[in-house]
Amino acid sequence: MDTSNPAPLVNAELLKRYPGRRVRCVLKLVRAEGNSAFSGLTSDGMHVSVKQVPSATSLSQYVEVIGVVDSDRSIRAEMCTNFGDNFDMSSFNQLVQMANSEHQSLFI
Amino acid sequence: MQSSYGGVLGLSQKSGGTQNTGLLPLTVKQISEAAQNSSDDTFYIDGIDVNNVTILGMVHNKEERSTDVSFLLDDGTGRVEVKRWIDGQDTFENEQIAALQDGVYVRVHGHLRSFQGKRNIVAFSVRPVTDFNEVTYHFLECIFVHLHNSKANGMAVKGPSISSPNYGNPVGGGAPSQYVTPNMTGVGGSMDECQKRVHSVFEEPSSLSSEVGLHIDDVARRIPGFTKKQVKDAIEFLVNEGLIYSTIDDDHYKSTNG
Repeated sequence: MDTSNPAPLVNAELLKRYPGRRVRCVLKLVRAEGNSAFSGLTSDGMHVSVKQVPSATSLSQYVEVIGVVDSDRSIRAEMCTNFGDNFDMSSFNQLVQMANSEHQSLFI
Repeated sequence: MQSSYGGVLGLSQKSGGTQNTGLLPLTVKQISEAAQNSSDDTFYIDGIDVNNVTILGMVHNKEERSTDVSFLLDDGTGRVEVKRWIDGQDTFENEQIAALQDGVYVRVHGHLRSFQGKRNIVAFSVRPVTDFNEVTYHFLECIFVHLHNSKANGMAVKGPSISSPNYGNPVGGGAPSQYVTPNMTGVGGSMDECQKRVHSVFEEPSSLSSEVGLHIDDVARRIPGFTKKQVKDAIEFLVNEGLIYSTIDDDHYKSTNG
């Protein structure tokens, strides 16, 4: 049992709250950039770029990125998981907001 | 759906048969913070006995042995060990286990246990996630059930701003929630907040069904935010009002309602 290193769920607005920290973020794929990077839309509609992606060419439309916050608009990926092509971003965005405000105690 | 909220709705009224047989969706963080009964090592969260739990997260460090398979489940709030015993004869089980690989998201159903001070889950079902809206759903459900159980037990809860229309009221209407804060009109005068909370802990079905009632420490653990002295004072007040009585010793009390 280990809760020492949680990875908060974030959108673009919350990225800047966790500079240098490991976070989880679901992005809608906009454009793959080579084989190791891509840019995507967060659940609150902002562009974010992701670097050091294991294999950017086989990504589905929605991708969960677990990685370290590099800047307000970029993440250095540790793991990418294909979340398929049918993912409800608006519900996810509301979850992100709740998990970082009034219900933070259940998560981090 | 009613029984999934830790058995709150539809529990029998009679004493001695009010165990929670519902299913609690939890985050690993909630599991790590669950309180433990001093008498029998069972857990409770938000005032509900923890029995069946469901968690959802990513598989790490999967280890397969001849009698069991175990892995760490990481749901972003923490990591917990999950163990599943293997039958050997059961092909469905074997298929389920083969589908487990590191990095796969799974939904686990099982029991929360403690072994040598460490908490772990003994799973009876581990299923890969196929529609990832289930991830969002699981965490929203954790929030919802937490709010529902906390409110029902009279704990201080900040007003939620849940905007999804489905979650405006507890599902299933009709039967009232079991854990309504007890009627205070018989007491007369004003009971302060601590006394009210302590009294409602004693009025919970699991407390009413216990022979020896609750230890002072168990009560104090269930209502964070009050000192042990405040809890003791509240208990003394309740004894004087005839609402609770001491059982096996001066540290155990039970509601006169039971």
